[in-house]
Amino acid sequence: MKAGAVELGHASKVTQRGVNRGMSILDLFLRIIAIIATLGSAIAMGTTNETLPFFTQFVRFRAKYSDLPTFTFFVVANAIVSAYLVLSLGMSIFHIMRSRAQASRIALIFFDAAMMALLTAGASASAAIVYLAHKGNTKTNWFPICQQYDSFCHRTSGSLVGSFIGIIFFILLVLLSALALSRR
Amino acid sequence: MEKSESTKIDVVETNKERKGKAPLLGKAPVVAAAVVHAKGGGAKRGIAIFDLILRIAAFASALGAAVAMATTEETLPFFTQFFQFEASYDDLPTFTFFVVAMAIVVAYLVLSVPFSIVCIVRPHAVVPRLLLIIFDTVIIALTTGAAGSSAAIVYLAHNGNQDANWLAICQQFGDFCQRVSGAVVAAFVTVVILIFLVVLSASALRRHH
Repeated sequence: MKAGAVELGHASKVTQRGVNRGMSILDLFLRIIAIIATLGSAIAMGTTNETLPFFTQFVRFRAKYSDLPTFTFFVVANAIVSAYLVLSLGMSIFHIMRSRAQASRIALIFFDAAMMALLTAGASASAAIVYLAHKGNTKTNWFPICQQYDSFCHRTSGSLVGSFIGIIFFILLVLLSALALSRR
Repeated sequence: MEKSESTKIDVVETNKERKGKAPLLGKAPVVAAAVVHAKGGGAKRGIAIFDLILRIAAFASALGAAVAMATTEETLPFFTQFFQFEASYDDLPTFTFFVVAMAIVVAYLVLSVPFSIVCIVRPHAVVPRLLLIIFDTVIIALTTGAAGSSAAIVYLAHNGNQDANWLAICQQFGDFCQRVSGAVVAAFVTVVILIFLVVLSASALRRHH
């Protein structure tokens, strides 16, 4: 009977370790997809350049991401976050091999939360500007520029999608790390 | 069964003879584990109390941000035949989103105080802390979203944009601008406190061995 109990305990420990390892592998997988999403966003916003086919004597009608400081912040934030994700891949692989690590998981949660806040700030600021560019605002006399710069508007709106996907993945990453911490 | 009985007898004899060099082999690791468990509980209880205090601070900050934004209304002392120079938060949909989002955050922080108290009373409970972490993370995303979008609009209101031909309205509505900027700063303070809360909950989740 005792031998049976020991065997059962051993089997449940093995499955627990298996589940922990599965969670760490899922963590790595999510990180890789988040890298693609944030990098894609940064590149899509960073390569915006639309020149309208007409011009006057004084003004050249051209729209780039660097014309709006908010979009510059968006590109920089997405670049920083994808660089962080690439660096944290190494930490994630370390967690697959050594599931007992606790202090490093807590550090990872802190950096994940901070980077998520940076990403969300950039994405929401750009979303506000894109909304303004689409709709304008009559009270403040801000004209909706999307009516002229159509391709620029499409590009910037599309690049927001990758950023928001990154945010959702960060939330999942924090949840996974917390679960892995609590199960040890 | 027989084994445990024989162990009992051994212990009684050792106690009687007071040759205490041989440790109570069966009991010592159990006692040590219990001491570590209790110590872990003490540290976790301290973390949970700090968590509650920070939660109340974040609630105050978020409430300040929501109220400061919602009570903005400035009417300039002149007007023309067609325009009334008036600014309030619902003129800009982004600010409306800010007020609604901060109201949700305030409601969440109030509702999460009982969970925090449960964590104080039962330091070794895992499920309340896990729930707190995941909901805190989602609320960080919501608060940062509101704060970031309003910060973009406030920046635009302060500086305008030459390429898009957007005028800087702060030059006329000075009081409105100050109020709104203060609300955005309070929202970012809430975000910092929330990140600290998530790290606290994570460090309280670890198992002491």
